[in-house]
Amino acid sequence: MKIISFQNDILPLKNELYRLALRITLDHAEAEDVVQETMIKVWNRREQWAKIESIEAYCLTICRNLALDKTRRMGRQDESLSEEIHETADHSYASNPEEHAMQQDRIKLIRNLVDSLPEKQRTVMLLRETEGKTYKEIAEIMDITEEQVKVNLFRARQNLKQKYIEADKHGL
Amino acid sequence: MDYKYIEQLLERYWQCETTLQEENILRSFFSQEDVPVWLLKYKSLFDATAQKEQPLGEEFDKRILAMTEQQKTVKARTISMTQRLMPLFKAAAVIAIILTLGNAAQAPWEWGYEDPKAAMEAMKADSIIMEEPVQAENLTDTAQVMAPTLQKY
Repeated sequence: MKIISFQNDILPLKNELYRLALRITLDHAEAEDVVQETMIKVWNRREQWAKIESIEAYCLTICRNLALDKTRRMGRQDESLSEEIHETADHSYASNPEEHAMQQDRIKLIRNLVDSLPEKQRTVMLLRETEGKTYKEIAEIMDITEEQVKVNLFRARQNLKQKYIEADKHGL
Repeated sequence: MDYKYIEQLLERYWQCETTLQEENILRSFFSQEDVPVWLLKYKSLFDATAQKEQPLGEEFDKRILAMTEQQKTVKARTISMTQRLMPLFKAAAVIAIILTLGNAAQAPWEWGYEDPKAAMEAMKADSIIMEEPVQAENLTDTAQVMAPTLQKY
């Protein structure tokens, strides 16, 4: 039986949990709160750690559910998001002639495009692209089938590609 | 340089048919500086998703550890029998001190008057002397007994 240490195994997951919470809540302060709540919740269930197959997936599941609860309580986010997109778009072709700055602006733009996707798609995307998880792990974390993971990832990639190419056309 | 392989991978990437390793190959390909122009538009797509923010620092660790540490000490503290009965011992010690001091304080009276009657009379005499004259008139019985003392006034 493996022994799980809170400080060495669970606490280092904080940034991964944060990135997930941020993609769902789209708010830095809320995301930090969610990670804190997740840590406390996992800590309070420490008697069950030995039975858990993957503590990482377990933490991510809790974190996602807490973040979803929070967004539901906060209400819809669309307005603040679209504002952000316009803002970034303005910056991207107003101020920076340098290639590097352009690149940074593009990355910002893509982040905003990702944030404008439906929650499932952006969560799948984050878990796959940024965290490098297998379909099986993602299915476990999100409590959906592997098939649904693939469908969501497919839609996310297609959506993002399309939106990006469109934005790029308008921008250049 | 031949980019067929990359283009092929990219095509399969859009169809979600790539494995994690293949996606890593794509990501490392797009992370280098010299990406051919016709693929350049995808560079930011891969760069954006590859970036991992590390926003939570040591401050956060400390806060979480403080929160969990508190619960831990409450949970894990072992208490020996002596520690458990410590309040009782303390109470017993306090009572013992009070009793000792009480006894010690009583001792002077016990020594002063062997006979309780003598002690009583002496006390009465004291109290009458302290009384005002008006009240002393009412205490005729006592006044007669105590006549020699009262005549002084």
